[in-house]
Amino acid sequence: MEFFDRFIVPNPSPTIYASMVAIGLTIIAILAGLTYFRKWGYLWQQWLTTVDHKRIGIMYLISALLMLFRGGVDALMMRAQTAIPENTLLNAQEYNEVFTTHGVVMILFMAMAFVMALMNFVVPLQIGARDVAFPRLNALSFWLYFMGAMLFNISFVVGGSPDSGWTSYFPLAGNEFSPSVGTNYYMLAIQIAGLGTLITGINFIVTILKMRAPGMKLMKMPMFTWTALITNVIIVFAFPVLTVALAMGTMDRLFGTNFFTTTNGGMDMLWANFFWVWGHPEVYILILPAFGIYSEIIPTFARRNLYGYKSMVVSIVAISALSFVVWVHHFFTMGQGALVNSIFSITTMAIAIPTGVKIFNWLLTLWKGKIRFTVPMLYSLGFIPIFTIGGVTGVMLGMASADYQYHNTMFLVAHFHLVIIPGVVFAMIAGMTYWWPKIFGFMLNERIGKWSFWFIAISVCLTFFPMFISGLDGQARRMYTYSESTGYGIWNGLSFIGAIGLAIGFALIVYNIYYSTRYAPRNIGSDPWDARSLEWATHSPVPEYNFAIVPHVNSSEAFWDAKKNGHDLFPGEYKKIHMPNNSGLPFVLSAFFFVFGFAMVFSMWTLAILSVLGIFGCMLYRSFEKDHGHYISVKEIKETEKKLGGI
Amino acid sequence: MKIDQSLPLEYSTEENRLKILGFWIFLGAEIALFATLFAAYFILVDRTGSGPSGEEVFKAPTLIIQTLLLLTSSFTIGLGIHAMRIGRVKAMINFFIITLILGLGFIGLEIYEFVQYIHEGLTLQTSGFSAALFTTLGTHGAHVTFGLFWGLAIIMQIKKRGLTPETANKSFIFSLYWHFLDVVWIFIFSFVYLKGMM
Amino acid sequence: MKDLFPLKQVMGFVFSLILTAVALAVYFMDLSYTIGMSILLVTAFIQAAVQLVVFMHAGESEDKPSIYTNIYYAVFIALVTIFGSLLTLIWGYE
Repeated sequence: MEFFDRFIVPNPSPTIYASMVAIGLTIIAILAGLTYFRKWGYLWQQWLTTVDHKRIGIMYLISALLMLFRGGVDALMMRAQTAIPENTLLNAQEYNEVFTTHGVVMILFMAMAFVMALMNFVVPLQIGARDVAFPRLNALSFWLYFMGAMLFNISFVVGGSPDSGWTSYFPLAGNEFSPSVGTNYYMLAIQIAGLGTLITGINFIVTILKMRAPGMKLMKMPMFTWTALITNVIIVFAFPVLTVALAMGTMDRLFGTNFFTTTNGGMDMLWANFFWVWGHPEVYILILPAFGIYSEIIPTFARRNLYGYKSMVVSIVAISALSFVVWVHHFFTMGQGALVNSIFSITTMAIAIPTGVKIFNWLLTLWKGKIRFTVPMLYSLGFIPIFTIGGVTGVMLGMASADYQYHNTMFLVAHFHLVIIPGVVFAMIAGMTYWWPKIFGFMLNERIGKWSFWFIAISVCLTFFPMFISGLDGQARRMYTYSESTGYGIWNGLSFIGAIGLAIGFALIVYNIYYSTRYAPRNIGSDPWDARSLEWATHSPVPEYNFAIVPHVNSSEAFWDAKKNGHDLFPGEYKKIHMPNNSGLPFVLSAFFFVFGFAMVFSMWTLAILSVLGIFGCMLYRSFEKDHGHYISVKEIKETEKKLGGI
Repeated sequence: MKIDQSLPLEYSTEENRLKILGFWIFLGAEIALFATLFAAYFILVDRTGSGPSGEEVFKAPTLIIQTLLLLTSSFTIGLGIHAMRIGRVKAMINFFIITLILGLGFIGLEIYEFVQYIHEGLTLQTSGFSAALFTTLGTHGAHVTFGLFWGLAIIMQIKKRGLTPETANKSFIFSLYWHFLDVVWIFIFSFVYLKGMM
Repeated sequence: MKDLFPLKQVMGFVFSLILTAVALAVYFMDLSYTIGMSILLVTAFIQAAVQLVVFMHAGESEDKPSIYTNIYYAVFIALVTIFGSLLTLIWGYE
């Protein structure tokens, strides 16, 4: 069966065989369970064909948590391998596959999905809208992400994992040095998921610009919506660069082109250049929504409105423009002259300024506030000092001449984890905890939440601070082992203990979800935190149409002011509400993309062409489709509102 | 669905306005996409390996005819949208058909051109330059080809369903797409071909 | 028949043809690199603007500010990507 040889993993180990069995059993269990409990209809009607932003948000959230688990296990394996000198838990090849997967999964399939989850659920509610501008495209975005993630995740058991780092530099990522299909998976899975993200970018810009409730001018929007708007602007202009780069990488590997080769006029450094033209804006895509979440949580739990709204907006816009002119700082040592490096050094240091403005604004919001130390607030308070430490090491790295010492050492690894984890991950957990009651109608347990926070906050310091020291001592990144004489042992040992602490913290979060789902009371009302923005003005969980009557807004903290000043947020009568219909097309179209990606990975050209025909077929069907949605009658609105407890 | 009679048909419902704005933003993304292709082209343009350079294979006559075909098609689709706005559906369909025929001519010439290059030893795999050239031209050409099918689907819908807010909206958005492809071609014409033949 | 050929569109088309011809001069005449490039840049950007404003009606709806901001931002990104990459990998490379 020569045809099937191509699917064999090049360097299988017992763990990989075990994973294959586990994956197989899980799939069988899921299929059997769905059939036995007769849930296929439910699954198709309520989830696979939904175009409701709230449901889509939940699906992103579940995916993000699953991917957090996968990326976290990768991290634990790495820290375990490097915990002692000359360890033999993972060999070099396995270690390469693990850190590559860890990076791709955490950034593209965990963090992005988490951001998408919260943006999807919260933004339409915060602007008083009933859904996003293009609900069907929204569903398509999710399913493309899902298929991209699935494609990437099967690589380690079918054909082999990519192993050139999450940055996949050429010429290492080319056919000569990475002959397995692993890097093909990288190129195609990320391409598919990236398409979904680009579509979301367009969707949310139009939504935020055109669908705000009456009275909500741009400068009266909640800060999370502002960051969502700017984030999506960055997405729209950054992701096409990645699209082209991935396409070129795919062509080099599958069609023998010479974009990034070292012969025939190719330029390998061109990959790194384009990757980071996208890659730097990408990290701002991750951090800006996180900043937006902190800007919601801190005022709520300090019982003060956000200090410096205008300067917050200006700094976000400045960050978005500057984020496109700093990318060379990711490869100061690649051979450019001093002029280029100096220019990008200056822009890099400049971009720290608007972020600094934001930190001061948050501190000034806290000043003389009445602080409630809830779990979301704890994460926000923990973020400020730890992120600042990570951030200032970023400015150190931004000094091009000094970077020759730090580049690609563990110092760098410590820097970016100490901005990404307190910056993005803390915000995602805080946001998830904060909005959980709105999404699900019950609160996550505070006590368990606090335990997780302390485990995670202390452990992130324990894991990553030692890396500053070992990095300055000379330990390079992505090295699967080191000898005892280097002296790195103690630092890596501490990191390993920290990693275990992080694992416990995240396990507690999972336990919290289970425990609260089982035991938390469901009668919490629509505003359990005494919050300030519009999403809290409707029921928990939120009805299909979001708001029975479109809210009328006249301040930047519409809900808070309505509560304090008795302003009527929902004037007028019930009117019938136009809602979009569900559709199976996004799911089917994405499934064709999965088949296409898989076929391309293994150079199965006939299958690839057939799936492309399927994709175009779906688009043609959509073009001729006549679907104008449905109406929710006034009678139905009244009944739902009465059931949920009225406005 | 509320129809605003004071606006042209393609803008007349809220959904229509959202779609038009959405498409403009998509074009912004497409500008970033083609910018990346151009960046790669300019960086790789002199890296011809052992193969021919642009100057050796570019042909002015083909270029001029292609440019005139596409530019004229941009004109005719503009006339088509104008006809739509004054309610002349038959004229609109005719202008759209002419546009697609001109587009088909453009693609035919481009395919002919590619075959010539291959005969002269410039293939996709020849060099960094050839990779960037074929990918830039090819991406533009693929967009035009997709447009031919999309335009056909729209013509069929206008014939079957007449001029409604939906069909007017689709036609207008298609025209935005088609004009944009001509904008990209202006830059290809200037900075790939003419610059290469200077 | 006249109302099918509005003046603005016809003028825009003719102007584009003229700009195309001027750009072609760069090929047919023996000009220095600087002059040639300048002509190409000017004609290309002007023709692009004609397409955007006259043909695509960029300014005709209530979304004019958003659309123009979108275009300017896109052009900014395009210029940064192209010239930043050229600077980094070729002009500024040691």
